[in-house]
Amino acid sequence: MAFSVSINLSIFADIKYLTMKKLIAILAILLAFVSCIKDEPRNSECDILSAEVDESLAEHFHNASQMKISDIASNERRIVFVVRSTASLPAAVKVSFTLTEGATIVPESGSAQDFTHGPVKYTVTSEDGKWHREYEVLFKDPSLVLDKLGFEHFEEETSQIQSTTRYHVFYEMDDSDSPRNIWASGNAGVAMMNSEWTPEKFPTYATSEGYKGYGLCLNTQSAGSLGALFGKPIAAGNLFIGRFILDKVMSNPLETTDFGTPVIKEPASVSGWYKYAPGPVFTNKDNKVVEGRTDEANIYGVFWRNTDEEGNEVKLDGSNVFTSPYIIRKAQVESLPATDSWTRFEMTFDGERADAGILAGLGYSFTLVFSSSKGGDAFEGAVGSTLYVDEVEIKYMEDQP
Amino acid sequence: MKKRIIVLAAAALMSVPGFASGIIPGDMTFKLRAAYNLGGMAPLDMPAAIRSIDSYNLTASLLLGVDAGWNFGSGWGIQSGLHLENKGMEAEISTKGYHMQMVQGTNSLEGFFTGHVHQYVAAVMLTMPIQATYKLGCATIKAGPYVSALLNRNFRGLAFDGYLRQGNPTGPKIIIGNKEGEWATYDFSDEVRRFQCGLNAGADFDLSRGFGISADLNWGLTGLLKSSFTVVEQALYPIYATIGAFYRF
Repeated sequence: MAFSVSINLSIFADIKYLTMKKLIAILAILLAFVSCIKDEPRNSECDILSAEVDESLAEHFHNASQMKISDIASNERRIVFVVRSTASLPAAVKVSFTLTEGATIVPESGSAQDFTHGPVKYTVTSEDGKWHREYEVLFKDPSLVLDKLGFEHFEEETSQIQSTTRYHVFYEMDDSDSPRNIWASGNAGVAMMNSEWTPEKFPTYATSEGYKGYGLCLNTQSAGSLGALFGKPIAAGNLFIGRFILDKVMSNPLETTDFGTPVIKEPASVSGWYKYAPGPVFTNKDNKVVEGRTDEANIYGVFWRNTDEEGNEVKLDGSNVFTSPYIIRKAQVESLPATDSWTRFEMTFDGERADAGILAGLGYSFTLVFSSSKGGDAFEGAVGSTLYVDEVEIKYMEDQP
Repeated sequence: MKKRIIVLAAAALMSVPGFASGIIPGDMTFKLRAAYNLGGMAPLDMPAAIRSIDSYNLTASLLLGVDAGWNFGSGWGIQSGLHLENKGMEAEISTKGYHMQMVQGTNSLEGFFTGHVHQYVAAVMLTMPIQATYKLGCATIKAGPYVSALLNRNFRGLAFDGYLRQGNPTGPKIIIGNKEGEWATYDFSDEVRRFQCGLNAGADFDLSRGFGISADLNWGLTGLLKSSFTVVEQALYPIYATIGAFYRF
């Protein structure tokens, strides 16, 4: 029997060469008959990819790089231009957009609109006409200096996809009683994967048991089986000044934290109150237990030059927030020992002094970051680590005696 | 032609009881076979979201088996046997807004994927064909149904270098990278049916007293994946051409 099989195979080899090409051709015809590649469907997406104002408005901006907003996250609904003063803004301003290929926008891209009475609503329609997205475009004054952050202000945001899922979004009120959306967290990324979640189930939320009134609660969670699938087993609770870029949550999580906002004062120190309890089991990014390692919380601040020599915007995210050559001053709380009673923390900014002229021209940005796991950006930490923070106060160099 | 195939198939089916009891008169032959399966799992209607098939690799899809045949005279006969074979494919496709869902435990991420998908399918199976045969010169034309029992099942792949719009085309856009940790893998092996059936038609050509070559077309009638499984929207049918050689004794 072994004999016959081996002979069979040698014959098989011969005919294979003779007829393989023909057979593949027949097969290709057959498959083509079964299933043809259809005509390309028209685009169903309808995003604003970038927005810009023309040169004639240059004098209203501190910085030319702020005249174009290009990295608009897919979950963003507001496009904000920061100008020197909204009071001097002309009543007719032309904003031009680049959209998903084939999409259309109303009011038209480049048409003159009046932004002096608040945001202007734009509706984008997809090429196939089936989908719409609404955006608000607004012009605002630079963030005023905030010195007391009490975490008293937050709203419930409903997940774009999981309509039964709601999470907290913090904001601050400035001296003129207008809301300042300076805070961002990774909640939107967690919301993506969980239905029927209430705000308190999220890694970042407002707790009614603050040091005074409401406070900030950050807790490290398992990112579930889907997170593990992407090699991102945990989600640390975080809150930072900046924007959260949801689009990169799977491919480049370090770049999801677009840190900072331009400021006109130079930070000197930050203090506040905290409570911390590390989770029981520390795991690494492969979700393997690391024996003998205890989780740590993290509180730090960075102040940097937000424009380079060529006038390009300098962005700080998780990949370069400690290493960028544009950092001027930074501060980090040395240690946050575990404690279940409210305990004071303080950190002082070290580094060069800012240039007064650049500072006045909004040439520096500032971020403040809180995290329940120090290694959270690298997906290291202990599920259950919980950091409470409240009554944070920022002191500025200008206010020092 | 169609009629004849139906007649042949019907003849094969009707002969099953006779085959089982072994009372069929006429001469009996045995064929030892080795063959190569060439084909893939294809939807009958290609969704527009599939933009191109960028690569298609033939996996080592071999068939080894033995058939027994009875000739009743006047050219007609039946043939059946047992084949150990594997059928597989590895393909890379480009998609635009392809509906998919990544499920892992209690979490799922559902949406429309634009990018690249690398799909791997492989199964080892025991197949029993039951064929009516008709001898025409040196050729034996054969046709009939087959059933396959899958001994091992693989249906897995990865989505890479693209993005998923969660929920609908206006939902959050999740960029999917092109290296480990940035791409999304999926494994639906458990959703592959354990039993398949289909129709087979082909011919054995005698080259000499003992040796011959064969060509067959195997058309799966059952979808590759369980019908209760809805993540992959289109039913995929195994469609394979088999070329091989046999030794008759």
